[in-house]
Amino acid sequence: MANVDIKVAIQAAPFAMGYGYDDTLAGRSDIGAIVSFTGLVRDFNETPEVTGLTLEHYPGMTERTLTEIGEQAWQRWSLQAVRIIHRVGYLAPGDPIVRVLVASAHRREAFEACDFIMDFLKTQAPFWKKEHSTQGEYWVKERHSDQQDAARWR
Amino acid sequence: MQLTHLNTRGEANMVDVGDKQETRREAVASGRIVMQPETLKLLGDGELPKGDVIATARIAGIQAAKRTHELIPLCHALALSKVSVEFEIDVAESCVNVTSLCRLNGRTGVEMEALTAVSVACLTLYDMCKAVDKNMHIEAIQLDSKHGGQRGDYQRLSAHTPIVTGEGAAGEVTLGQRCSSPCVRVKFLAELRERVGESEAVVSLDQLTSRDISGLKATLAARDERFKQLTDQRTLCAINQVMANDDALVTDDDEVAFFPPVTGG
Repeated sequence: MANVDIKVAIQAAPFAMGYGYDDTLAGRSDIGAIVSFTGLVRDFNETPEVTGLTLEHYPGMTERTLTEIGEQAWQRWSLQAVRIIHRVGYLAPGDPIVRVLVASAHRREAFEACDFIMDFLKTQAPFWKKEHSTQGEYWVKERHSDQQDAARWR
Repeated sequence: MQLTHLNTRGEANMVDVGDKQETRREAVASGRIVMQPETLKLLGDGELPKGDVIATARIAGIQAAKRTHELIPLCHALALSKVSVEFEIDVAESCVNVTSLCRLNGRTGVEMEALTAVSVACLTLYDMCKAVDKNMHIEAIQLDSKHGGQRGDYQRLSAHTPIVTGEGAAGEVTLGQRCSSPCVRVKFLAELRERVGESEAVVSLDQLTSRDISGLKATLAARDERFKQLTDQRTLCAINQVMANDDALVTDDDEVAFFPPVTGG
């Protein structure tokens, strides 16, 4: 794969709302479209009063898995840049958890690749959420609909 | 564990792969040839009597991968979709590192092809340099990783890879020590860690009922009731940070992690 531009980051610190844009666009004028997805902590999920969540991951495997998902997208569509950042540790409602940003010459490829990466991130990358709520804390259950979303791409 | 190249009478046997499903297979192998620093310099500068050593060794490796079935008696002839052979000159170690990747869509693995490519590329390097250096030696020819197939993926841990084991609080994993006798280091992550009440275990290889994941699960379950939940269908497993199924083999110093379905994003 020539000129693969995939960057993956895992961090506890918050990331800026503009994360990924400057770095991707710097010094180039061949990019026609950027699609980005940002996932946020909701204050309602399995219980109505979520006060925060703790994200655990498997260091090493997480980075490798995200890079592989990015590479699969790179092989499948004609892309110019892929950025994936995911936070770990304690997060409060309203905090951004994840950003996937894809640059391509055309919008369709960027939309599809971004959607693809999120579907596989949710079903393959080793992250686990524990929600804290007014009723106590519990591990979030996996969703069958996430598996179905990922199966669309096979 | 049955050796698939032996039949029930212990005779050599070519495996019938006709009923296996075609899947995308990939294998990466590596090896190296150690030589005198002066030889390495001549090689790097392209000043050896036989000419462009690296280019010749690359073609030799690719050709060898394609002819593996002619060299290794019970290997199938494979229609490889990709063979690459890469060389890295390591001045500090005074050697050339050789890496080969082989890929195909087929019914049988490509690790023999990748290993053959590396072996023959090393032999060719030897042949091209032997006029100036008789003391070279070839070493560490090994499978680094394979993907696809019945037993799933495999990833060798390099000596440089930090081993992630040890006591871990939620969201944190610390570095652990390697064990002295052959063993696997087992980690329990997230909800599973809370349910078994431990973050790690060490299992010596000779304790295993069979040297695969199902054997590891059985051995742990015999050790303690709590580990019976590892056989729950929802429990996932990774060997050296690559997803693995019950048939996947475990080897010395492997890091095996068990964890619940993932819920990131």
